[in-house]
Amino acid sequence: MINLIRRDLIIQKFQLYVFIPCILFFIFFGSHLSAFFIFVFAGFFIPINAYSYDEKAETNILLNSLPYTRTQIIASRYIGAIFYMTVSIGIAVLLFYVFNRPFTWADIAIGVGITLTMFAFAFPLFYLLKPGHIGTAVTIGFILLVILMGPVITFFEEYLTPAVNFLSSVSTSLLYLSSVGVITVLYAASWLISQVIYQRKAF
Amino acid sequence: MGMENVIELRGVSKALKAFTIDNMNLQIKQGYVTGFIGANGAGKSTTMKLIMNLLQPDKGKVSVFGLDYANHEKTIKDRIGFVYDSNIFYESLNLKDISRIVAPAYKHWDDKQFKFYVKQFELPLNKAIKKFSKGMQMKASIAIALSHDAELIIMDEPTAGLDPTSRRELLDIFQEVMVDGKRTILFSTHITSDLERIADYIVLIDEGQILFDKPVYELQEQYAIVKGSTELLDADTEAYFIKIERSPNGFQALTKDVAKVKEVFGEHAVIEEASLEEIMFYMKGADHPYD
Repeated sequence: MINLIRRDLIIQKFQLYVFIPCILFFIFFGSHLSAFFIFVFAGFFIPINAYSYDEKAETNILLNSLPYTRTQIIASRYIGAIFYMTVSIGIAVLLFYVFNRPFTWADIAIGVGITLTMFAFAFPLFYLLKPGHIGTAVTIGFILLVILMGPVITFFEEYLTPAVNFLSSVSTSLLYLSSVGVITVLYAASWLISQVIYQRKAF
Repeated sequence: MGMENVIELRGVSKALKAFTIDNMNLQIKQGYVTGFIGANGAGKSTTMKLIMNLLQPDKGKVSVFGLDYANHEKTIKDRIGFVYDSNIFYESLNLKDISRIVAPAYKHWDDKQFKFYVKQFELPLNKAIKKFSKGMQMKASIAIALSHDAELIIMDEPTAGLDPTSRRELLDIFQEVMVDGKRTILFSTHITSDLERIADYIVLIDEGQILFDKPVYELQEQYAIVKGSTELLDADTEAYFIKIERSPNGFQALTKDVAKVKEVFGEHAVIEEASLEEIMFYMKGADHPYD
């Protein structure tokens, strides 16, 4: 299992060199972006990239011909995503700290929450789509993102920053716990769905 | 003799979009090289995928080393080396990184062995797989398949798309690998001449059905191409043949009972050894394939 997770590092050697400059770029030139947005980007980067390698039919034939079970392959994806997200956001936080950009614990918590929620929706969808369609899905997603970026950012600025402030000011353990609960259930449900889809897949 | 089956398919059915396997039974014997032949699209790859658990049967049982996939998937795959007809390794990675990904998956990965094959096959360790020629990709795949002490090597069209020189070279490698006699090899191909040198058993598949599963010597002893005048043919003699082709100059047919044909036709017909290709050709759409 650890081997499956470690594999992502070997595959993404090159992307890892791009990762830190990207975060630095956001820190220096993305001053209009909320800190949590950068954390989302950081957390999303490696797991999604890893996924783009695994969508190929050939890769699935390889993984399934090696002594792994399908359950393990899916588990490595979900556990790996949490692991790489944690490390990536950790590095981003460190860079924030080193370059003196302000952030709060709430930024990190919201960043992690959004990232995990995105994984929870993206992974089963990717397993459902036929290989080759994920590129299209990502492209459409990206175009939508660009179109929606403007309104979304205004939305974030108008409502979410106050919401973040609100959360950090009234942060009761209950509020955090319930978000953690919801995200955990989402992630677990997503894992289960991916597992069912992958179990039936033919390669 | 106590011959053990490494692979057993019992009553396996699988319906795919363009293709169906219905109630397939197949046994692959331990310690031998079995050639799996059939035309393109006959069902070789589907059967291989069922054996590798890349596809799961709708009905029936697949067991490998006497174990089922539901409970022993990892144990089974740990003991199999696989080679597919196209590259399945991350193509942007080099062979060194690929071995780093593959090696820890196996209990008995032997890095010395791997280095030995890399050297023998003259494979570069630091070049991306996508820059390898087709022959080199196949060799890389074989090097990996042979470096974890696998008892069963499954190769799906390993010579497909290779030029004649590379094909010969690969066959030499297989022959060397098989010398120790412990391994079992299942080797699918539509180029039957590949097998004449190395196979002990031949399984012929057509339209998702196993037409026969026989030792090579039996094929050589029992099957033959018979040529003669059409006057020799009547309802009785036709029964000796699997398939008959008639032309104005006479007939040409495949028999699986050379002894009988020799006895009946004597000097009147020409009897020649049948190549695997001829057997495959005549068996396809045969008049009495299952006799």
